[in-house]
Amino acid sequence: MALHKYLARRLLLMIPLLIGISLVAFLISNSIPADPTAANLGERAAADPEIVAAFRAKWGLDEPLHVQYLTYMRNLLQGDLGTSIRSRRPIAEELARYLPATIELATAGIVVSVVAGIIFGVISAVWRNRPIDFFVRFISLIGVSAPVFWLALIGLLILYLRLDIVPGPGRLDARIPAPPYMTGMYTIDSLLAGQWSTFRNAVEHLLLPSLVLGAFSSGLITRITRSSMLEVLSQEYMMTARSKGLKERHVILRHGLRNALMPVVTIIGLSYGSLLSGAVLTETIFAWEGIGRYAYNAARTLDFPAIMGVSMLIAIVFVVMNLIVDLLYYWLDPRLRQG
Amino acid sequence: MRRIVVLLIALSLGMVGMGGVIAQEEQVLVVGLSEDYHSLDPSRAYEPGGSLVHHSVYDTLVTFPSDSVSEIIPNLAESWDISEDGMVYTFTLRDDVTFSNGDPLTAEDVVFSFNRMKNLKDNPSFLADTIASVEAPDDLTVVLTLTQPDAAILAKLIFDAFSILNADVVREQGGTDAEDAAETDTAEDWLMNNSAGTGPYMVANYEPTVQTVLVRNPNYWGEPAFFDRIIIQNLPETSTQKLALEAGDIDIAMDVIADQVASFEANPDIEVFSTQSDTLIWLLMNADPEIGGPVSDPLVQRAIRYALNYEELRFLSGEGANNPASMVPIGFAGALDPSEGFAQDLDKARALLEEAGYADGFTIDLEYPDFNYIGTEFGIVAQKVQADLAQIGITANLVPQEFQVSLDLYRNGEQGFSLWLWNPDYYDTLDYVEFLPSGVVGNRTNWTDENADSAILELRDAVKTELDPAVRAELFGEIQRWLQEYGPYAPLFQPGVHFAYRSDLQGFAYNGQWRVDLTALSR
Repeated sequence: MALHKYLARRLLLMIPLLIGISLVAFLISNSIPADPTAANLGERAAADPEIVAAFRAKWGLDEPLHVQYLTYMRNLLQGDLGTSIRSRRPIAEELARYLPATIELATAGIVVSVVAGIIFGVISAVWRNRPIDFFVRFISLIGVSAPVFWLALIGLLILYLRLDIVPGPGRLDARIPAPPYMTGMYTIDSLLAGQWSTFRNAVEHLLLPSLVLGAFSSGLITRITRSSMLEVLSQEYMMTARSKGLKERHVILRHGLRNALMPVVTIIGLSYGSLLSGAVLTETIFAWEGIGRYAYNAARTLDFPAIMGVSMLIAIVFVVMNLIVDLLYYWLDPRLRQG
Repeated sequence: MRRIVVLLIALSLGMVGMGGVIAQEEQVLVVGLSEDYHSLDPSRAYEPGGSLVHHSVYDTLVTFPSDSVSEIIPNLAESWDISEDGMVYTFTLRDDVTFSNGDPLTAEDVVFSFNRMKNLKDNPSFLADTIASVEAPDDLTVVLTLTQPDAAILAKLIFDAFSILNADVVREQGGTDAEDAAETDTAEDWLMNNSAGTGPYMVANYEPTVQTVLVRNPNYWGEPAFFDRIIIQNLPETSTQKLALEAGDIDIAMDVIADQVASFEANPDIEVFSTQSDTLIWLLMNADPEIGGPVSDPLVQRAIRYALNYEELRFLSGEGANNPASMVPIGFAGALDPSEGFAQDLDKARALLEEAGYADGFTIDLEYPDFNYIGTEFGIVAQKVQADLAQIGITANLVPQEFQVSLDLYRNGEQGFSLWLWNPDYYDTLDYVEFLPSGVVGNRTNWTDENADSAILELRDAVKTELDPAVRAELFGEIQRWLQEYGPYAPLFQPGVHFAYRSDLQGFAYNGQWRVDLTALSR
């Protein structure tokens, strides 16, 4: 199938998927036996029927459920995600504020985990059952199993408080103002604005959280790369390559790794998707206000428009990630291109 | 296009350069706070964290000393008269007060601010329920007329929501004090990143969930504050706040929990301030037999009060916690001395149960919101209550609930036996009348004018309109003693509240209303 047809079909498939997700998110958040009035009005205001009635009318909570849903979808079609009950600010504006922070952190995290994961995975497959293999497997086990908040706190305690080689929580030092908003990612915005010291500070602030965030997926990627490499290394074409007299490095990287990457790419795609959908604990400990914290706060205060907005956004992130992974298959495996 | 980019880079480099020069001489205070506010419009103020900002940026007519809430002192109003019937308060404003833009303060600003707050119908608007009208007969006189005598009105006026804003400026930004302000006022957006107050600081920038930056007000009418800039940085996790304070990146940690106190005290660079909070943790025993079952019986309620080990309960909450004697927290005028409180007496408790006809005890659900409030884990407190009650034959089944779910049941009066907390809405003991029949909490306990004893109804009605402080204290004392005997509640404890700050910081003081006065700090 031609690539553009394939793409068009995939994009069209997103529409029913998003409608389905909006419906599920809407039904679940409305079936919780708790009232957004209580969550968002103060103790006394919630006891005043007049204020409660005005609140319900303002947010459309006095309408039947299907009317609320249809109103939401109608507004959505016009690009209006609604207004947050909690902060009274437009949801689109809030997502534009919090998503870039998460993209920045997740991207740094995935870079760390891909680089570390693939290198470790290859090393441990090539030197299978040697001491280095055991060491790498041990480290990756820690990465996969250590609770992220524990890693984060230990990291802060040692690298920030004791050794003072990374800065503390936050995306920038408190005294450094944020760069002018362009993309919302401080590293990019500070570069665009030519604020080098801000850029440096933003990068420094990214180091520890991305290491912590990358630890889990790098453990996973190491393990998958290792097992996939082991399988490939025992294939006959590897022996063919060697018997042709190719250098060992060339054999392993060009013939081995490239063929072993298919399952790894799947894991990377999924990991990146889950990092992008927010890491509440990491974001909380590092005071990194991203989508994870936003989703958590929205759920905690039954902020329906925010819950809907964030659910749709995360759905889109996963759909797009899956699409990218499929396109990578296409590139990695020539058979797909011909078939 | 390229030229614009070059220009932008040059401009921003220039700005960084300038920033660097200022930063060298500038005195900056950095506060670590788990940010709980969503608005910087003082007339919508409600969350405790917001007070750090409002109290620095705005003034009120009257105020408290920085370290207590027991005395009301002048602020923007230099004096006031109260009519004999307690219905009319006449305030005389200071004549030397200016707003941050240089405009002089007038009585008209007070009228606008109060009416706007009331008509916004937001969370704090109920505080204006007893206000019938506000008038400005001349530039320096404000006349407040009430709907009924309200001994708590001056204490209410100290809350951030009664902050005085520059009426002209707020009107220009879409503000209104008209009756339909709830629908038509649009000044909130502007007030998020600007301010129109008479306080020592101005809002420079508010980046929600990241930081709030205040700068010194050049036109402040009083003594200028020490710090040029205050940065309130959002650090949602207490352990992160601790690390940032130890590293010296923040000067104050606002959300210290009891477990951290010992480690702070061992650090010479850090001072700790601990006291009991104004939060009351208590047991609700529904007065409606259909809902409360056995605990609706006053004898059983009393037996439960005698069955609890208050000291051990307090211990669960950690350092700084304290046991109030009744349903008025320690620190409020007229609160009984803690020594008048309950001591565990299991024999008495068993005898009372027998008298009530439950010699063999009974089984009941104990509902509670399953969360941690300022370091107090509700699940652990509930387990301790369960263990204490088991000693007199009562089997309490623990029913943890998700917070919002539990809150709904509690507010609808559907919980029979539950564990809750109450924070003061304003700093006058009158707030605790809500625990009496037909009050906010009374209703949730289904304890109303219909089923309550006439003795407590008379006390309640008397204290609501009494203005003489001595008589009020006496009445509050009688009410608390009555509740100790017959009330549908058991007061458990007030958790501790803790702050830690760098030792080089001077002038730290705490009161429950605004917690820490940032404007009084220096280095």
